[in-house]
Amino acid sequence: MTVIADQEGRSKEAAVGDPHRPSDGPHRRYLPLLYRAAGINALLVLAAVAVTIAVLAPGRVSSLALDEEVLVLVLAVILVAIANVYLLRRVVGPVQALTALTRQVDFANLGQRMPGAEQSSEAGELALTFNEMLSRLESERRDSAGRVLRAQESERLRIAQELHDQVGQELTVVLLGLERISWQAPPTLCDDVTTVRNAVRKSLDDVRRIAIELRPEALDDLGLASALAVLAERFSERLGVDISDRISPDLPALPDETELVVYRVAQEALTNVARHSASSRADLTVEHARGRLTLTVRDYGLGLPRHVTGGSGVRGMRERATLIGATIEIGNRHPGPGCEVRLEVPLRA
Amino acid sequence: MTISAHPNGGSAIGVAPPVSQQGEARCAPLVPKRLLVVDDHPAVRAGLRELLADVADFEVVAALATAEAAVDVAERERIDVAVVDYQLGGRNGLWLSRKLKRLARPPAVVIYSAYTDGVLAAAAVAAEADAIVSKGKLGIELCDAIRRVASGHRDLPAVPPRLADVLRRRLDHEQQAIFGMLLAGIRPAEIATTLGLSSAGLESRLWAMLRRLETLPTASSP
Repeated sequence: MTVIADQEGRSKEAAVGDPHRPSDGPHRRYLPLLYRAAGINALLVLAAVAVTIAVLAPGRVSSLALDEEVLVLVLAVILVAIANVYLLRRVVGPVQALTALTRQVDFANLGQRMPGAEQSSEAGELALTFNEMLSRLESERRDSAGRVLRAQESERLRIAQELHDQVGQELTVVLLGLERISWQAPPTLCDDVTTVRNAVRKSLDDVRRIAIELRPEALDDLGLASALAVLAERFSERLGVDISDRISPDLPALPDETELVVYRVAQEALTNVARHSASSRADLTVEHARGRLTLTVRDYGLGLPRHVTGGSGVRGMRERATLIGATIEIGNRHPGPGCEVRLEVPLRA
Repeated sequence: MTISAHPNGGSAIGVAPPVSQQGEARCAPLVPKRLLVVDDHPAVRAGLRELLADVADFEVVAALATAEAAVDVAERERIDVAVVDYQLGGRNGLWLSRKLKRLARPPAVVIYSAYTDGVLAAAAVAAEADAIVSKGKLGIELCDAIRRVASGHRDLPAVPPRLADVLRRRLDHEQQAIFGMLLAGIRPAEIATTLGLSSAGLESRLWAMLRRLETLPTASSP
């Protein structure tokens, strides 16, 4: 029995694929309800039979004669036991299914529900309330994911504005002053002034670039497909990486936060291509099939180093993906060269 | 955009001092170009005013903080070139450009912005701005741009074809036609004639286009 339970436990763990789940222990330390109830019932029936025989035919019991009546009784006991197990299984089965589902429930895999949820039995009622609880949790999760993302975005916007309005403007003032000085500076100072001025220009460029990366683009206004096309265009234009985009024209309407995550992951992946890959081109693909939206960003560059720990950018992509229940894979392409980021978003029916 | 004019700032300082003797030499009676500076940031405004005042062939008529004040001044005074920050707190530089171009003697408009890309360029086309200069290039490059637009040239960055496609989809058919003609450098008066529009009719369409193009996630808006 323990062995069976053990195997069950392990196979479930493998199916779920998350070794960190604490409740998913391989050992069941109790006898399942089904066997306990069946065992007790079997004992009761046996006792009843024994008593019956003792009361109705005490003489024959002592003689231990194996005649037809005993055979019939034994068969009856076996039948009763089997019927008992069958009926009990029907009652206990949903509870076991519920346990299995509870182990599997995961926000990366939303929309799982118990079958047979109707008010026809206690088990059905249990499944019904369990499903209602899942719905509540999922909607709460969506709300809080939305809140987290919106908070992140507004914070980014604030920083971008500060950068532009404060640092950018002050650097502009410095630059204007340096221009004037450079026009009037004696020839001996010209080179120095030019060096300083170029450094300030570089800083101004950096501030601008950081502000652009932080700023949320108006997804609401353009829609995901167009916003991604513009994004690809801008990357091509600014960073000299040739990005070919293939974006499915019939993308379904997505929740705001899903669009935001897809957009941000694309942005982060393209930024990584420009910064680290040394690739001169990249592909941006968005496809929609079988209830999933898939974003792929592929480059033809150096690929990831062997022990990539993942900087804040990669961590950010993973966190965002988790918030909307999406999965993300980041790895080198086989066959290479280059690296691929693949985001899969399950779409709710 | 203006990089080619001065691939390296160092030599530019030596060779082309802003107090343009070359300009003086070319057109003997030096008529300074009358400039209007518009920037809502006081220090930037002051810095730009001083910088441009140092240039011999420029005269800064006024340096103002708001687009509305700039329209007032441009209605009263003769202005050759308006030098305008894209971001002005309230109304932006494109709004001002559109307004200035309706005047009887419209000045040339140079817009400078921290973010100059195809998206801003497209909106600038609808606003009929003449040049866009990056904020990092508010020196000799700006002076060059001012001189070029004052002599009737336009100096907008190109709108990449794919971006132009995305933008065009935001416009109705008539607006698309107008946008295409503006991109091709055709003057509004000609466009109005071609499409059989009154100048007021064209003007209202240009405003509508500007609004549609500006609601874009332009890198130039905060």
